[in-house]
Amino acid sequence: MEIENRKVHTIIASEQYLVRLGVKTLLNVIGLESEVHEADSYDELECILKDVPQTNFLILCEDIMQKQKMECFEGVKKSTCMCRTILIGKQQSERCMFDYFISQTSSRKSVVEKLQQFFYDPMTDDSQDEDSRGLSDREIDVLKAVALGCSNKEIADQLFISINTVITHRKNITSKLGIKTISGLTVYALMNNIIKPEEAM
Amino acid sequence: MIAFTRHSKMAEIILKDYQLLPVINRFGIKLGFGNKTVNEICEEKKVNVPFFLEILNSYHNSDYFPDKHFSDFNAEVMVEYLTNTHTYYLKSKVPHIELFIKKMEEEAQEENCRNISLLKTFFEEYKVDVEHHFKEEERSVFPYVLDLERALSTNNCSQELINKIKNDPIEVYERNHESLEVKLADLKNLIIRFLPPLHCEDDCEHLLTELFELECDIEDHTRMEEKVLIPKVKMLEKKVLEYYGN
Repeated sequence: MEIENRKVHTIIASEQYLVRLGVKTLLNVIGLESEVHEADSYDELECILKDVPQTNFLILCEDIMQKQKMECFEGVKKSTCMCRTILIGKQQSERCMFDYFISQTSSRKSVVEKLQQFFYDPMTDDSQDEDSRGLSDREIDVLKAVALGCSNKEIADQLFISINTVITHRKNITSKLGIKTISGLTVYALMNNIIKPEEAM
Repeated sequence: MIAFTRHSKMAEIILKDYQLLPVINRFGIKLGFGNKTVNEICEEKKVNVPFFLEILNSYHNSDYFPDKHFSDFNAEVMVEYLTNTHTYYLKSKVPHIELFIKKMEEEAQEENCRNISLLKTFFEEYKVDVEHHFKEEERSVFPYVLDLERALSTNNCSQELINKIKNDPIEVYERNHESLEVKLADLKNLIIRFLPPLHCEDDCEHLLTELFELECDIEDHTRMEEKVLIPKVKMLEKKVLEYYGN
């Protein structure tokens, strides 16, 4: 639960100012609240990774990587194993060590979708185990608030977490229960005594 | 998969795919076909044969859809069909589902009573959504489609219609076209995963079957609106604007 209060750190690495600016703008579009660090060279990236070892997300444009650096980077990536990575480039190579990939020629819509997956989707490895388990205590808190008709913002304020965390919880709840609509979730909450009938709207 | 043609025997079509029964019903075609072909039956009932065949084939085989032949029909035939489908859902499908929920409610043990009445309320809400959705289409979208077609066939077009094409085209409806299946999927999930076991398994099974069928049917219906009606209307809008020089 402490994790939720911790700040999210994202690094955007590209030689091109316009690329960094573009990515930052899109992060706003998807409503990400994160500390953003920018690197305009590979060396700068290494420095930031050293300074901010708890980095959660790394968005990297391939212009910053010369061929020989690819190998150095493999080492860097291993040292920050908690961090999720996405590559922006021309073509996805077969032995790509990045978790996600955005093509330079993608449309706005598909870039936004990719970024949303990148930031909000549970990683495939652990999601299956997650699914078969019941809701966590925190997810039950969020579900309760959803069933009572609270908005994401209200839930974030009540539980002292960021809106992104609320969204992540909601996604996980939906994938565990298979229920998408608010009224469906409310029925579930009532059936399981998570809320009382007189509380429901 | 072989497509049905105008020479196919009606009885054989239904023997092959009984799920087409409600579909032919919407065209006013009743059982007792004897050995008549699609052509003969459609002539009797004054049904547009190519349109009827496209609908049968697209319901029978989802890969068959969408087809370029659709652009050959009048929008009027299509609007009539879609309106009949709405009526079929509300007058036949929804009451069936309500009936099974009611039966389950009557037979449920005490501890499950409350759960079933929650599901009942959930479905009532869904019914209101669906009614509203259909009413909106029948009130604003379908008449608009017919107006467009009339403007082209009668060479007479009101300024009002031109303004509508410019300010409130079908694209607006397309963007706001909500999915009616999501809540149905939720209801199925609630029953399959979370409803404690019931003693009236038969009713529950029937209810689920109805829900699965309705979901499939509504999916086909939505596909028809989005892949056939909307492109057709966009084409009509363009033609009207071209003819009336605006």
